[in-house]
Amino acid sequence: MNGNAFSFSQLGTLIRGSAVYRSIVRHGTAETNRNRSLVIFENLFLHVHPVKVREKTLKFSHTYWLGGITVSALVVLIATGILLMFYYHPSVPQAYRDMKELKFVVDNGVFYRNLHRWAAHLMVLGALLHMGRVFYHRAYRPPRQFNWVIGVVLLLVTLLLSYTGYLLPWDQLAFWGVSVGTNMAKEAPILGPPLRFLMLGGNIVSENALLRFYVLHCVLLPAALFGFLGVHIWRVRKDGGVQGPPEPPADDEVEP
Amino acid sequence: MPLRRIFAITSILFLAVLAVSPLKNALRPYRGFQRAFARLGAARAKSLQAAKTYQQQPVAIRQIWLPDFENRVDRCTTCHLGVQDASMAGAPEPFRLHPATYHTPKDSGRFGCTACHGGQGLATLEKDAHGDVADAESPMVPLKFIESGCGRCHSSEQVAGAATLSLGRATLERNGCYACHTVKGHEAFRSEAPPIEAVSLKTGAEALRRWLKDPKAVDANATMPRFQLSPSEVEELSNYVFSLTPGRTLADRVQAAAAEPTGDVAKGKALFAESRCISCHTLEGKGNGSAPELSKVASRASAGWLLAFIRDPHAFNSRTRMPQFNFSADDARHVVAYMESEFKDFDAPKEILDPLHVNQTLAEKGKVLFRQKGCFACHAPGVEVDRFGPALDGIGDKRAASLDFGKRTDIARTLPAWLEAKIKAPGSFQDGLKMPTFALSPKEAQAAVTALLSLGARPVPQPYRSAPTVRASLLPGGAVGALMDKYRCLSCHQIGDRGGDISTAPLTAEGSKVKRDWLVNYLVLSFTIRPILTDRMPVFRMSKDEAAQLAQAFETFYLDPRIPEDPYAGQPATSRDPVEGKRLYDTLGCRACHILGAGGGYYGPPLTEAGTRLKPGWTYAWLKGPQKWRADVRCPNYGLADADALRLTSYLDTLVKSSTASKAKRGGTR
Amino acid sequence: MSLPMPSLKVVESNDPVAVPKRVALVRPDARATLRRVEERWVMTYPNLILREVICFQVVVIVLAVIALLFNAPLEGIANPLETPNPSKAPWYFLGLQELLHYFPPVVAGVVFPGLVVVALVVIPYAKINLSARPLWSGDKARTRLWVGGAAAFLAVFFALFGCWPIVVPTLLIGAAMFSVYGGQLDGRLRRFLVSVTLPEWIMTWFILVATVLTLIGTFFRGPGWSLVWPWNMYPPA
Repeated sequence: MNGNAFSFSQLGTLIRGSAVYRSIVRHGTAETNRNRSLVIFENLFLHVHPVKVREKTLKFSHTYWLGGITVSALVVLIATGILLMFYYHPSVPQAYRDMKELKFVVDNGVFYRNLHRWAAHLMVLGALLHMGRVFYHRAYRPPRQFNWVIGVVLLLVTLLLSYTGYLLPWDQLAFWGVSVGTNMAKEAPILGPPLRFLMLGGNIVSENALLRFYVLHCVLLPAALFGFLGVHIWRVRKDGGVQGPPEPPADDEVEP
Repeated sequence: MPLRRIFAITSILFLAVLAVSPLKNALRPYRGFQRAFARLGAARAKSLQAAKTYQQQPVAIRQIWLPDFENRVDRCTTCHLGVQDASMAGAPEPFRLHPATYHTPKDSGRFGCTACHGGQGLATLEKDAHGDVADAESPMVPLKFIESGCGRCHSSEQVAGAATLSLGRATLERNGCYACHTVKGHEAFRSEAPPIEAVSLKTGAEALRRWLKDPKAVDANATMPRFQLSPSEVEELSNYVFSLTPGRTLADRVQAAAAEPTGDVAKGKALFAESRCISCHTLEGKGNGSAPELSKVASRASAGWLLAFIRDPHAFNSRTRMPQFNFSADDARHVVAYMESEFKDFDAPKEILDPLHVNQTLAEKGKVLFRQKGCFACHAPGVEVDRFGPALDGIGDKRAASLDFGKRTDIARTLPAWLEAKIKAPGSFQDGLKMPTFALSPKEAQAAVTALLSLGARPVPQPYRSAPTVRASLLPGGAVGALMDKYRCLSCHQIGDRGGDISTAPLTAEGSKVKRDWLVNYLVLSFTIRPILTDRMPVFRMSKDEAAQLAQAFETFYLDPRIPEDPYAGQPATSRDPVEGKRLYDTLGCRACHILGAGGGYYGPPLTEAGTRLKPGWTYAWLKGPQKWRADVRCPNYGLADADALRLTSYLDTLVKSSTASKAKRGGTR
Repeated sequence: MSLPMPSLKVVESNDPVAVPKRVALVRPDARATLRRVEERWVMTYPNLILREVICFQVVVIVLAVIALLFNAPLEGIANPLETPNPSKAPWYFLGLQELLHYFPPVVAGVVFPGLVVVALVVIPYAKINLSARPLWSGDKARTRLWVGGAAAFLAVFFALFGCWPIVVPTLLIGAAMFSVYGGQLDGRLRRFLVSVTLPEWIMTWFILVATVLTLIGTFFRGPGWSLVWPWNMYPPA
């Protein structure tokens, strides 16, 4: 065992020392604060974070990790969604047939579909709870006003994503769920009926609607979501990190 | 706990949960089934080679793909591996050989499995496949209704080999289901219930009340269902019925008949027996049962009405199945006298046939009820364009989720269970439902559900459809049509896929079968053709002219192109050899079933006068394969060569009626 | 703790009291306080990054377990001719669908959700939200009149439509608001209730109403949108 561990660490050193590895990761092991900083700002994806954060914001009760949970659900959705797209045809009745094939024949098909479905619910729920948390923590106050508005937009986009995805299995649940929803939209004065026609590509939920919902679900809405989400997270950093609960006057505060 | 340790734990869990699904995938049940099948097959195999074939089958999903049958994919054979494997007879499920029917197991590749059995063909897990899940189009059809699958393709009323389905279709027709419910192919259905206006001529107030309360209690053969009527509703409907004025001529006829002197009971009894009334009616339960029970009829119908009705049934009810018997004026009186003396309900009150003194308010209410309860659907059809109840087309594919189970929480949430409950106790789902109770026997209910389940939402694709060869539109019009209507041939005989099942002789190919002269004589005076059967056609006292007209029409219309007019045409002269035919008759052992001359069996029809009755073309066609003409016939198929069949035919054709032989066979035996 | 005296030597400190060199604009509606002790900062990597990865892993673990145990719903193929009874929207719209039961479609389907979105958007721009004074901190008589009037109006308005799932939460929240009228402090709950601001009351009311409507729509509505008990529901919600 010892010999193995030794050779593993040797192997690690060997890899880290190789020219290829050095060309990809340009800093040493994260044992010094300098290298830890480099981990963050040498990385495209991590550099939405500052190099240092306030220690208290790491506490669970500070944010309940609701934003993190929502984004985690989103990552799961993207991963499983791409896998599902390999098997899905947005046509009638093949769409429904594909659900059956996922369930009956495709390896792990049920698992991916279940994950996608439940992650979607979690994302909607997480976004709602996140918004409630931000409200009660009064984290919408200046300078974060506009980020709150972006958050509202994100919530709407999330709901639309979930709703457009709801139609795709083309089962009774999907068809009538969407029929009920789009019939509500019809009631809006002036804009309602043409908007509904535009959404459905017709006057009823049909194969056209399926195709449109598919494009919205897989292309347009995710693109919008990524755009707004990028701005949302970037502004969190620019506004000084996550805002926890408003603090009561502490002992160490003084009136000047 | 240090963060790194938490991270270590979540990482391990993370990898572990993601490994579960691939693991489950590798352990899917069908793989186990296929391995077990390979072992079983190898153990049962007769040769080493065959055993090897079993063992070399790869473990994989098997499917039957039917691109021209709604693009069906049936993967049932992934687990049911032995359905077509003769060595799997009696093997444990799911490997057993499919029981033998017309189409199975040989046609599995053409029909797949779900066409008859329902369930989800695409599925590869038992629960999903057998359809016990929300997303199944239909759960598997319970085996007692399995003949509904036959009915998807075979749309005729009678389907050979599917007794339950045929009984079910007959049950739907007989109980007048089509009077309220639209079903494709039965749009022209009219109930044979009597027109409501003439009922007051026939019966009395108390008799009518009893009838309305529960028709089956009055007459076990009644086809009228029991409506859930309160005593006040019964009263209102009775008042309505008696408030209607019957046609003048009918009323006069009944009145005149009532005034006639009584006939002779003894003569009436003999006439009653001779007329074979119980070919259709029953007498204390004995008889065919397709027409009313007669044992208490004189307490339901007045003597005047009975007499007038027997003389001319069609004047009273143009849709009745009862034929015109052409009794002489005296004979009819004798029959009614006999009925009046014997067929009475001696427990009934004397005034049971007294008319009702109409209360106009109640009658008005009754008129509304008559519409609300849907009585008009049978008793005054043709008034409404739309049927009273919902259409039944496609009901066999209705999803259980769209059915209203109401109060019936005791039954399975499936379509067959719902249909069965609906047919047995229509009112049990919730209060105020309009469908009446039909009191079907369990067997009839099962059959009716089978027939309903066969009504698919979409027609099966053309190549799978099996339409009856002769359609009912072949019924002639004009004078011959009127004659066939007068004697109600279709009440007992089948023509194409229409008609009753009382007679064993369908008329579809009658013209190709029997000789015209024989038929004329038979129509004038019928007799038993097969000694083993006691029933025969009633004697209608048809005139010779009428009989000739009918016989000619049969010979013109009711032909089967598969039966040659002249079987000898184009055959060598040697085939026309009665002597050789006689030798064949003896060697084949025909006498075991047929009487010829002095001896022979009683099972089949006597052949003493075969040449008088049968056309040689028919004899020949029959000998070439009796089962082709009637599936359940016992006459063996000897696989005769053309020449031999012709020789036998020519021998039988020589057996003609001698002038003295006829007297003994005449008349019926009870 | 005594304040260190500022000295003449250059002090390297962020302590505003120690180094009173910074200029700050204090708006009249904000508390002007200074924090003396500097907050502790930590490296993002590994402290935050590791937590984020753990969060993601926990989410995946939970979802995977749910996905292994419960199959996503799938019913028969869509059939426009066969309306299931009841036909329900996805759960997050069931509150709206429940409203549809009480109000004309244009109100339930357009006006209400529109108002909600507008209200959400203006939250950070409304002065009342920014000042965040407890409900009873100002002119009590005025507050009583306005708040009591508004609650009573809402309760009566929704009662007129027979919309009890809104009336009951409205009355509940109203009662909770007035339960601390007078504002004496005794007990933790009371102390907490007193500190609640008007926007928080309104948001709580909204969340309560939305939750009640969604729960009713999801679990208590059967054929013909009639009230049924969840255990009598078929198919189960």
